[in-house]
Amino acid sequence: MIFWEIAKRNIRIHVLRSTLAMLGIVIGVVAIAAMGILGNSLVATVSDSLKSVGDSVIVTPYSGGGGMMGGGGGGGGGSSENLKITDQNFQQIQRTVAPNVAIPVYSTSEHMKIGVGSDDIVTTIYGVPSADVPDMMKLQAGDYNNGNSGCLVGSTFAKDHDLKVGSRISIGTDGSKGTLRVTGIIEERGMSFDISTDNALVVTDNWFENTYNRNGDYDEVVVKVKDGDTADVKTAIEKQLNKRKDNKIVSVTDSKATLNTIYATFGTVTTFVSAIGGISMVVAGVSIFNIMMMSVNERIKEIGIMRSIGTQKKEVMSMFIYEAAIIGVIGSIIGGIFSILAGWAVSALMLGTTKYLLTMANAISVSEAVGFGIIICLSCGIYPAWQAANLNPIDALRHE
Amino acid sequence: MQPAIQFVDVVKIYPLKAGDVLALNHISFEVEPGEFISIMGPSGSGKSTLLNLMGCLDTPTTGDIFVSGTGVRAMNDVELTNLRRDRIGFIFQYFNLFPLLNVIENVNFPQMLKSGKDVNPDKAKEVLHAVQLEDQFYMHTPMELSGGQQQRVAIARALINDPDILLCDEPTGNLDSKTGASIMELMTDLNKKGATIICVTHDPTVAKYSNRTIRIVDGCIAS
Repeated sequence: MIFWEIAKRNIRIHVLRSTLAMLGIVIGVVAIAAMGILGNSLVATVSDSLKSVGDSVIVTPYSGGGGMMGGGGGGGGGSSENLKITDQNFQQIQRTVAPNVAIPVYSTSEHMKIGVGSDDIVTTIYGVPSADVPDMMKLQAGDYNNGNSGCLVGSTFAKDHDLKVGSRISIGTDGSKGTLRVTGIIEERGMSFDISTDNALVVTDNWFENTYNRNGDYDEVVVKVKDGDTADVKTAIEKQLNKRKDNKIVSVTDSKATLNTIYATFGTVTTFVSAIGGISMVVAGVSIFNIMMMSVNERIKEIGIMRSIGTQKKEVMSMFIYEAAIIGVIGSIIGGIFSILAGWAVSALMLGTTKYLLTMANAISVSEAVGFGIIICLSCGIYPAWQAANLNPIDALRHE
Repeated sequence: MQPAIQFVDVVKIYPLKAGDVLALNHISFEVEPGEFISIMGPSGSGKSTLLNLMGCLDTPTTGDIFVSGTGVRAMNDVELTNLRRDRIGFIFQYFNLFPLLNVIENVNFPQMLKSGKDVNPDKAKEVLHAVQLEDQFYMHTPMELSGGQQQRVAIARALINDPDILLCDEPTGNLDSKTGASIMELMTDLNKKGATIICVTHDPTVAKYSNRTIRIVDGCIAS
């Protein structure tokens, strides 16, 4: 149609002005989409790290405060030194969560040496029943059968200290608590709510009990929920063990609920950061509005002629809307393409990986940014178009 | 046969902050189909107001205007616009062609408005032949044409939808005398072929081409 053609030609004769307006939209789309991609990639990264613990309920001794974010990382710290889960409580938990598996976990911090003359290292040792270890972690080398003098080591710990299957570690100051042989290397687990094994050792519960003189006073209990919902399991444990509100025994953390809270927080952060990117889109919109107003002002006489020879208001309006749409669509699509490159760069720089770039969430983020760019352009073109359409033809014809 | 244009006791008042301005004062006249009329008068006499009302760009304060028997007073903007598109051809002093369109597109513009889609350029070429513009200029833009050529294109554009009336506002005002004379001869030819022409002008030479002259003074018809 002729108005589409006029809009195209008007953009072409004002190529610099139109290109600058498009550039604004390109920057706006890139800012929004790249932030979206970064946020999505961040969520995907965290999600990957935490997906293995999404089915856990962690039970720790009640320490008087609110719930906790996880019992891993050293058994809850100094304040929980004397707070333990008794064997009787563990058995109650076991009965409550059946048929799900409840795993009792000991933990402590310990000095150790690797090889003769090596530096003293302090790290966490977990004591877990051998039979339950495969439920909690996977190995990248060796096997689960660590026996009484064997141990599993976390992948980061193994890498940092050049440990392999068969390596030996002296436990305690000057090896006072004996020597353990590495029988397996645990796959990287990343962040977790139950136990953090990447920089730790995992030994049998028997070795732990014998070495530290512990028996049935656990630091935490991890319930692997394979049957039912983690929230129901959490409620059941609380109902069973915390019968008296003024004398609570355990704190129970539902890892899935915590994960969902984390995802929601990341989602909010992504939205917020994208909204900051959106400011550049608003600036681009103002620029579009400005050039559309200029376009209308330059063509008042032309609009008067059009109206006088029989052009309807809606046709005049469509001509300016087409102009805004062309700038918006081209600018937004170019912005969409650049935003993938920007997302790739931002992910590589900030997350150290680009493996989460080509995901549905990122495709949606880019599409939303492109759509938003087009909508902003059209919105900013509506008022100038309306103004053009509603010019008095007589006044417009007289305009010089 | 109904008059091409009929003014019945038309009054046009412009309400201004400083006070109402009476631009046309109880004007009545008729233009028969096939007439060639010139409207003359000094500046501020009401010529432009009369032209705007005849061209359905404005509506009267009181009185009635009929274009080929159709009353325009009660028409809304869409109806008035359609009336301008289908029944009236405008020819302006400054040609007022669209600079972004070439000759054929300029001439075809009203036809495209009417049909709502792209149209065959054959009719535009036919009309351009009728106004004696050579084929070689058809793909040129208005800026690449002389004043006389631009006015021929403007006349072709005004004729493309076969209007009942051609309204001309100082059609030779921006042309040299020789080109102006050739344009007026073209208008006379069109009139002889049946076109109704109403020409608003200051120029008595232009008025000589018309069959009848209406003189306006202070918003009233003087003769």
